[in-house]
Amino acid sequence: MNRSGYLKAAAVVMALFAIGLVGYFAFSAAFPDGLERVMEDNGLEESEPFYTAPLSYGEDYWGALLAGLAGFAITFGLVYLYLRGMKARNKA
Amino acid sequence: MGEVDTHIPDGLMDPIVVGAGWALALPIIALAVYRLKKNLNERAVPFMAILAAGIFVAQMLNFPVAAGTTGHLIGATLAVALLGLYGGIVVMTTILVIQCLVFGDGGLTALGLNLLNMAVVAPLVAYGVLRITRKGLDNWNGIGVPLAAWTSVLTAALFCGVQLALSYSLSGGSYGIEALLSIPTMGIYHAMIGVGEAIITTGVVLFLSRVAPETMEFGMRAKEAKA
Repeated sequence: MNRSGYLKAAAVVMALFAIGLVGYFAFSAAFPDGLERVMEDNGLEESEPFYTAPLSYGEDYWGALLAGLAGFAITFGLVYLYLRGMKARNKA
Repeated sequence: MGEVDTHIPDGLMDPIVVGAGWALALPIIALAVYRLKKNLNERAVPFMAILAAGIFVAQMLNFPVAAGTTGHLIGATLAVALLGLYGGIVVMTTILVIQCLVFGDGGLTALGLNLLNMAVVAPLVAYGVLRITRKGLDNWNGIGVPLAAWTSVLTAALFCGVQLALSYSLSGGSYGIEALLSIPTMGIYHAMIGVGEAIITTGVVLFLSRVAPETMEFGMRAKEAKA
């Protein structure tokens, strides 16, 4: 397996998802998703969460865009560091 | 546009069901981590991280399906097709944990159930369908990827439906939704959402199969190159 293949693949995936994120409103809809809809149909409300997270997905376009970027960075960073650490421990 | 919250929240399911979710999900995730550690391809690490980040973002993008309902990608089939079963489970787990702890998507107690449905059941079903179709259809995966995507979403949703039903009967109605309602409605909405998952997953896999086929665990080529 060559390295350039992975780089190319990573670039493609990143470009696809970048288009998706910036076009957030074009694809996104304010309607409930599958599970929320089922809860609504059955008259269930979401109760107070047991734990309150520091960030949310944002209330508007810019909030969502920022949340998306933050999520992208956090996820990339954590998975990258975790897997690198995994590899390092393997070698040790 | 209000709250975007897509996973099982706290207080929806019976505590016994919640506990069972953790008990079932954790050992399988631990096994996946162990197996991935043994077989990790170092060159794939940045790609895996990008893919995980990409799926995180994709889960935020809701597309309308029908009847005032939306769906969004789970991404399990995409992760499994590109990274294999263990990589897929580990990537999906990381995404769900970050969504829960950092963005409050899905309850902290319900995380075990969300992990079970989307990081364990969905990747296992996707992997099973991809394996069977690759073997059964003379190495031709054209049907495998969309079928795996659709089936994995539907199965994960039905698991959630069963968990709602179990919660309802265990708690005598204080938690969950009764089986006759929860299972069909989760099934019907997600049978539609699964079509979106199939289209997006197939598109990405098809595209990557062309530009970087060597990165695929389950690519869409007419013939797998046999080593």
